[in-house]
Amino acid sequence: MTSPDPPHPLRRIFGPLATRDFRAEYLWLWLAAPLTLFSILSFIVVLALGLWLTPVLIGFLVLAGAVFYARGLGAAHRRLAKALLGVSVPTPRRPELKPGLWSWVKARVGDPAGWRAVGYLLLRLPLTFAGLFAVFSATLYSFAATTYAIFWFPLGERQLPVFEIRADNWAGALAWSASGLLVLVALPWVTHAFVALDRLLVVGLLGERELSERVRDLEASRATAVEDAALRLRRIERDLHDGAQAQLVALAMKLGLAKDELADADLPQVKDLVTGAHANAKQALTELRDLARGIHPAALDAGLDVALATLVATSGIDAQVAVDLPRRPPPSLETIVYFSAAELLTNAAKHGGTTLVEVTEAHDVLRLRVRDSGRGGARIVPGGGLAGVAERLRTVDGELTVTSPLGGPTEVSARVPLPR
Amino acid sequence: MRIVIAEDSTILRQGLVELLTFRGHEVVAAVKDADALREAVAGHGPDVSIVDIRMPPTHTDEGLRAAIALRRELPGCAILLFSQYVETKYAAQLLADRAGGVGYLLKDRVAEVSDFLDALRRVSDGETVLDPEVVSQLFSATRRTDALGGLTPREREVLGLMAEGRSNSAIAAELFLSPGSVEKYVTSIFGKLGLPPSDGDNRRVLAVLRYLDS
Repeated sequence: MTSPDPPHPLRRIFGPLATRDFRAEYLWLWLAAPLTLFSILSFIVVLALGLWLTPVLIGFLVLAGAVFYARGLGAAHRRLAKALLGVSVPTPRRPELKPGLWSWVKARVGDPAGWRAVGYLLLRLPLTFAGLFAVFSATLYSFAATTYAIFWFPLGERQLPVFEIRADNWAGALAWSASGLLVLVALPWVTHAFVALDRLLVVGLLGERELSERVRDLEASRATAVEDAALRLRRIERDLHDGAQAQLVALAMKLGLAKDELADADLPQVKDLVTGAHANAKQALTELRDLARGIHPAALDAGLDVALATLVATSGIDAQVAVDLPRRPPPSLETIVYFSAAELLTNAAKHGGTTLVEVTEAHDVLRLRVRDSGRGGARIVPGGGLAGVAERLRTVDGELTVTSPLGGPTEVSARVPLPR
Repeated sequence: MRIVIAEDSTILRQGLVELLTFRGHEVVAAVKDADALREAVAGHGPDVSIVDIRMPPTHTDEGLRAAIALRRELPGCAILLFSQYVETKYAAQLLADRAGGVGYLLKDRVAEVSDFLDALRRVSDGETVLDPEVVSQLFSATRRTDALGGLTPREREVLGLMAEGRSNSAIAAELFLSPGSVEKYVTSIFGKLGLPPSDGDNRRVLAVLRYLDS
């Protein structure tokens, strides 16, 4: 096995000066400085104009424009940073624009991405001057000092017009050159240090919004998805009711009529066929009804109290239902609470004893409690009924707690946050 | 019988009209929603109305609300509510006026044509007819309560059939009892439920209502 040759010592020292990264970072400091300066000055002008004009209302438009402009300035910096520094940050999301001029102004003025871009510009302004000054001085000094030894000899120059570089003999001039070289070697590191700060600013202020806002977005979109699913199920149930179920009822009705009409006829085979078809149609009706109830119980349209009372009555489970809600939760939450309660009731019925189902609301939290006086020992096990309920509740940020000491009683309690 | 039908599904409405006409009844109006139902009942004064619970615009309980309103305006007008599902609460609301002449049946029951027509006739005669499924729901819902606790299993069975709107002779046939012993059970039920002797049918309705109240 051969290890790669260690790089030549000179290369190690001067290598960074020749890299692409250094050139790009160096160029960034030079290019971004005027960009930032121009940006901040122009922004201040637009902002001042907007503030000055607010009494005549058009100023609000200018203000909105200023924030929008700041967003654009942030985008320009972001693009330059991407091209030169390779810092790739996602574009901040557009503010949600609602119809109406005033809503537009509010959304634009309140655009967090715009104001974060302003913050970026303000923080970057001192940094850019410090960086530019350091790099400019280091560059100038290194070139002047390094070449001083060469110029000193033939030109007899004693003093350079910069940095008070002077030497009375050549050895002194050589010492200046050595110091110039040192600064030259240090230049990439100095550049890199300033650019590192810049990178932090770009990532921190010009990128995607903060995590908490992202979470809020996700919550909102998930709520829409859950609501949409509930609506769709409701529509499917209604379509079944209006379509297949109505057709089947009509079919069963006609077969029933035919059966009655055939009662006195002497057609035993036909009678058997019609009787069979009649029974099939009735069976299909029952099954379709159960299926539709599993998709969306029609009683839920009248509210959780009616639906749960009907559920208890139909299932034949010995249970008492107490629903006390000051307002109706959104349909999707009602559906989830209903099916959770159905599952918990079935569980409780297995434990035996009287079950109590309670639905209450306090402090924008809906609480479902199912208590039974069975033998207890219920736990949430993966793949079990309780785990299924917990999972169902999680889609709406609900949580399930189980208190079930051996010997009972068991209390399963679900908490679901309600929209304000 | 002169009948009004309120049913939003075209196929069911037409099917019912055909069926009833075929069996020699007169369908004086077949309408699609609650408003038209009120007009038809007020205008035609039918012997009985068949009303679907779910109708436009919300497809929830329009038919039930229309029925309750109708019975308030025209006491004693006979209404058979017709539904894809039975819900105890609906039955309780419908029977709350304690006047008889109401029915609550699953749509499936129309498949047994004779039973359906029989129920319709009993409703038009002022009796109360509940779907067997409603009755079984009421039984399970009241199982734990004390209100009916004093009844023997046999008496509960008889009460259940009464709730379905069966006459004493029909109950006797169903339970293989003599009409006399059914009469004895019924009297015993009335006694245990504390219903004073009065018009027989009214006491039957009140006995059924004990289910709903308990």
